[in-house]
Amino acid sequence: MSTESQTFTEKYDLLGCIQCGRCTGGCPVTVRADLNVRQFVNDAYDEEKLDELARLAEIWDCTACHTCAVRCPKGLKPLEVLIGLRSMIVESGKVEPTVRDALQSVLLEGNPWEKARATRSDWMEGLDVKIAEPGVAVENLFFVCCTNAYDPRVQTTVKNLVKLLNKTGIDYAFFPDDESCCGSEVFTLGEEGLFEMLVEDNTEYLNEFTAERMVTISPHCFTTYRTHYPDLKNPVIHYTQLIDELIAEGKLAWKGELSKKIVYHDPCYLGKQGGIFDEPRRILKSIPGVELVEFERRRERSLCCEGGGGKMWVESESKKERLADTRIKDAKALGAEIVAVACPFCVLTLEDAMKNLGYEEEMRVAEIMELLGEIVDL
Amino acid sequence: MKTFVCIKYVPDTSEAEVKVNPDGVTVDSSRFSFDINDADNYAVEESVLIKEDKGGEVTVVSIGPKQSDVMIRMAMAKGCDKALRVEDERIADHDPLMVARVLAGAIKGQEFDLVFTGCWADDDGHMSTGVALAEYLGVNHASMVKKVEILDGKVKAHRELEGGLMEVVELELPAVLTIQTGINEPRYAPIRGIRQAQKKELNVAGLDDLGIDPAEVGSDASQVIVENLYIPEVESTAEFIEGEPEEKAEKLASILVKGGLV
Ligand code: SF4
Ligand code: SF4
Repeated sequence: MSTESQTFTEKYDLLGCIQCGRCTGGCPVTVRADLNVRQFVNDAYDEEKLDELARLAEIWDCTACHTCAVRCPKGLKPLEVLIGLRSMIVESGKVEPTVRDALQSVLLEGNPWEKARATRSDWMEGLDVKIAEPGVAVENLFFVCCTNAYDPRVQTTVKNLVKLLNKTGIDYAFFPDDESCCGSEVFTLGEEGLFEMLVEDNTEYLNEFTAERMVTISPHCFTTYRTHYPDLKNPVIHYTQLIDELIAEGKLAWKGELSKKIVYHDPCYLGKQGGIFDEPRRILKSIPGVELVEFERRRERSLCCEGGGGKMWVESESKKERLADTRIKDAKALGAEIVAVACPFCVLTLEDAMKNLGYEEEMRVAEIMELLGEIVDL
Repeated sequence: MKTFVCIKYVPDTSEAEVKVNPDGVTVDSSRFSFDINDADNYAVEESVLIKEDKGGEVTVVSIGPKQSDVMIRMAMAKGCDKALRVEDERIADHDPLMVARVLAGAIKGQEFDLVFTGCWADDDGHMSTGVALAEYLGVNHASMVKKVEILDGKVKAHRELEGGLMEVVELELPAVLTIQTGINEPRYAPIRGIRQAQKKELNVAGLDDLGIDPAEVGSDASQVIVENLYIPEVESTAEFIEGEPEEKAEKLASILVKGGLV
């Protein structure tokens, strides 16, 4: 036990913490859950306490938004202490059935959605999609993401993207259907062993392909590849960066106007963690007719939608207002007709909140590619 | 406690479309994901819980292809001690009685207190393997078990009956219990556990290794012949009956009479 907890203190640099409280001060879930991340950083130093801490329900409330890490003056990642505690539970096997099934599905089928690997490319049906081949160089190599591939609600993102790529005639290809989950949520759920395996296997697989850059569509893949995969040979970008370039080069032709008031919601994994704030905004502003408004909490301070940190598979015990509800209410107060996002999880959580609040008539939640599909001549 | 737990590797047919092969008697499984049969997963958990409580040893038995080894390793990661996988093309595995005979042949001659199976398999849904296995082993059985209590030389089994009734029975050990889903909460098999389970013993055997006569478990011995598989036609004739309750009742009655249903 003692060597293990030594590792815990060292692994998360717990001695570096000065208990300043910047982390808790920014943690968005404190308004609805008992989570006090500063206390965990403090208490986890005591090896005797680790088991007890790991059993506290609030370690599963963290959404891995990374606000605490962004704010910590000592460069610590407080949330990773919570992930370390989650790992202890995962190793014991006593996790929620939803978490168990998602993790097992990643191991067996390469996606957390319990879908068959053989159906990963079904979204391509009826589309003319270029498929990458190992060793054949391509400029833009696309990684679809499990959620975009399987969830019918967000498949529009990738379908529209394919149509747009075909129209512009740029050199691109998608990975074939043996592509596997990047492990973003495996990491935050605390399945360390599985995540290590994914990093190793995916690095080997992705490096078989040669590209000027690998284009990710979900911010979760984007950040995970950039942060946790040190040996990838192709540079990783987010698709909004590519679209921003195409617009600057005049490669997109608009087929009309979108006279709407749009507010852009910064996904945590794209903004805070990926540093991509301007490209999505430039894309939206370039759409004829669009009036772009801003949330008060935006960019690094953007309010988390609670879709990350494995929360797609962990139900919060709190009955207090969900952050996604707060976000949608804020958008309503701004008079926004469209809440634009660039992340499949944000689409799902924010749209759910919008429906819950009964705003369907006057508002919509849309992925940027969804809007482009309607306004670009494809 | 010495326990055997019998598990099956089954396709998940809930997501991909089910298609019958041109031979008309088998299903195209190329687009399915495969995993442990749901009820068997609960049987594994129950066997491990009992081992954790009373001590002893759990052996996994499964009939299936090499690909199912991952499922067996997961069961071992959860706490099962060793495993036997039977692989032999000659087994008429569409017939639960033949399957039960093979399982019995694999277990017979070894000491055991309990044998667990799932109460039914998600692919063919016969609900017969466990019960037939008890018969071939010549021991007691209880089916659809929702709670297990180990007593001295006996086991108390709570059986879920039709209409939600619970029947509590006491059986002399050794016994076979077919486990109903919901009896416990199956744990997760972490990857590190699966890696460690690589060190545990997993034997692969054919009928000859087990001393089972292929003629007794093959299609000639089986009384089940699959003649034809087909996807049921979806009938889309639904009629909404409008009107006041009395009118509705009258219209409904006349439809039933005309259709020869009453
Ligand atoms: S912000 Fe960093 S240094 Fe400050 S209390 Fe949190 S973890 Fe400690
Ligand atoms: S990652 Fe976000 S939710 Fe988790 S502890 Fe840090 S600030 Fe709170």
